[in-house]
Amino acid sequence: MSELIPIILDASSYILILVLVALGLMIVFGMMGVINMAHGELFMIGAYVMVLAQDLGLPFLAGVLLAPVVVAFFGLLIETALIRHIYHRPLDTILATWGLSIALKQLVVLTFGPESHSVTLPIDGSLEMGAFSYPVYRLVLMLASILLICGTFWLFTRTDFGLMARAVIARPATASALGIDTRRLYRWSFVIGTALAGLAGALVAPIISVDPQMGLGYLVPGFLSILVGGAGPLAGVLAGGAVIGGVNNLLSVWISPVAALITVYIIAILIIRLKPEGLLGGRRAK
Amino acid sequence: MLELQNLSSGYGDALVLRDFSCRFENGQVTALMGRNGMGKTTLLKTIMGLIKAKSGSVMFNGQALEKSPPHLISRAGIGYVPQGREIFEDFSVQENLRLGLLGHDPNTALPLDRIYDWFPILKERADQRAGTFSGGQQQILAIARALIGGPKMLLLDEPTEGIQPSIVHDIGLQLARIARETGLGILIVEQNVDMVRTLANQVLFMENGEIRESCDIEVVRRNDALLHRYLSV
Repeated sequence: MSELIPIILDASSYILILVLVALGLMIVFGMMGVINMAHGELFMIGAYVMVLAQDLGLPFLAGVLLAPVVVAFFGLLIETALIRHIYHRPLDTILATWGLSIALKQLVVLTFGPESHSVTLPIDGSLEMGAFSYPVYRLVLMLASILLICGTFWLFTRTDFGLMARAVIARPATASALGIDTRRLYRWSFVIGTALAGLAGALVAPIISVDPQMGLGYLVPGFLSILVGGAGPLAGVLAGGAVIGGVNNLLSVWISPVAALITVYIIAILIIRLKPEGLLGGRRAK
Repeated sequence: MLELQNLSSGYGDALVLRDFSCRFENGQVTALMGRNGMGKTTLLKTIMGLIKAKSGSVMFNGQALEKSPPHLISRAGIGYVPQGREIFEDFSVQENLRLGLLGHDPNTALPLDRIYDWFPILKERADQRAGTFSGGQQQILAIARALIGGPKMLLLDEPTEGIQPSIVHDIGLQLARIARETGLGILIVEQNVDMVRTLANQVLFMENGEIRESCDIEVVRRNDALLHRYLSV
């Protein structure tokens, strides 16, 4: 039994990090239906803000606060200059944001260089639990992820902003005829989604290697989680994250990372084929 | 007063309304009748800003609205109940009503109690998911949602479509009462003769994007000739 605990902890940690990264995508892709190929790069910029904060000698917490603000600013620019013109043109959105992702990567290469950077763990040390130990920062990260998941859920299901955002996404014309400024709601939903990507980047930075190519590796499982789970606020991304993250992590440990990835894709294809609306539904045919 | 002057509007290159002009006094209840495809819905959507007017003007109580986005037109005091009701099925009744409130100045919006007084069923079922409502109940919710923002003029697009006759009559009576009590002006697009007779003071008959005839409701009550000509009923 006791040898199962680290495996379960590891899988939970992996799932929670995946969901943390996918939270912003849940808003932008799952709810708003915008396929933002540059989402992974926004996550990367969040991590680089953390690198910069460390180089400047700022405390870890300052980086955590700064990253979502900086990335939200990028999000605001991207929405205003690019996305708002192509909300209902998915193919154009994919192309435009794919181009943007390349530009953002190059921007980072020019500023920080192509090599990878590392961020020092803010909390060193491990929690001893009987025969094994577990890094404290990973536990903190899991807790932060749970809090952010709850916070996002609260924002979109319990506040007036969330109610308006969901209404605008479901029936934009009707919402606007009720006096709701749909432009504003789209903009701020998108910005919140990007801010979450930045925050995820900053929080995850200490346990990964920060380099210009890091975005894609998180973008793909993030998209998969939402496709598999469904687009409803939150529950879908949790279900999808649990399936994708859980299978990937457990099989990586028990068999091999390659076998795990193959299995993940087979499961994802099967679920998307058999339940196109995702495990928990919520995505409507458009 | 809502005044439309030389309004042209349509979809793509096809014009549905051509140089449409009309005036609706405050507090007046006008029914707009005509066969399908005559431009009635297009007219309401153009007033509401959901379709951009190609030319012409929409003046509401001295304010030019033809270039405004829908949310500002709504805030200027024009409420809209779309065809097919378009309630938010996944939200509760209360959340649907709250959405009607959020975009508006709290000072001009109506208190929830007033809405519940007019439509008690919404109070009884405040927490119920709106998608579980019957067609008639959904229509009541859609009307209440538009009223709660405190409009001075309400546009209704075929509110009786697919609703059982007894509820149609109730909705007509209730709307007439609200118009009397509050001085609300109503412009209703309707094919249901009972609804028009219950509610309207004035009837406009529309054909090919133009008003062909305008008459007092008494004229329509007394003889069916106009109804036969413009609706073939």
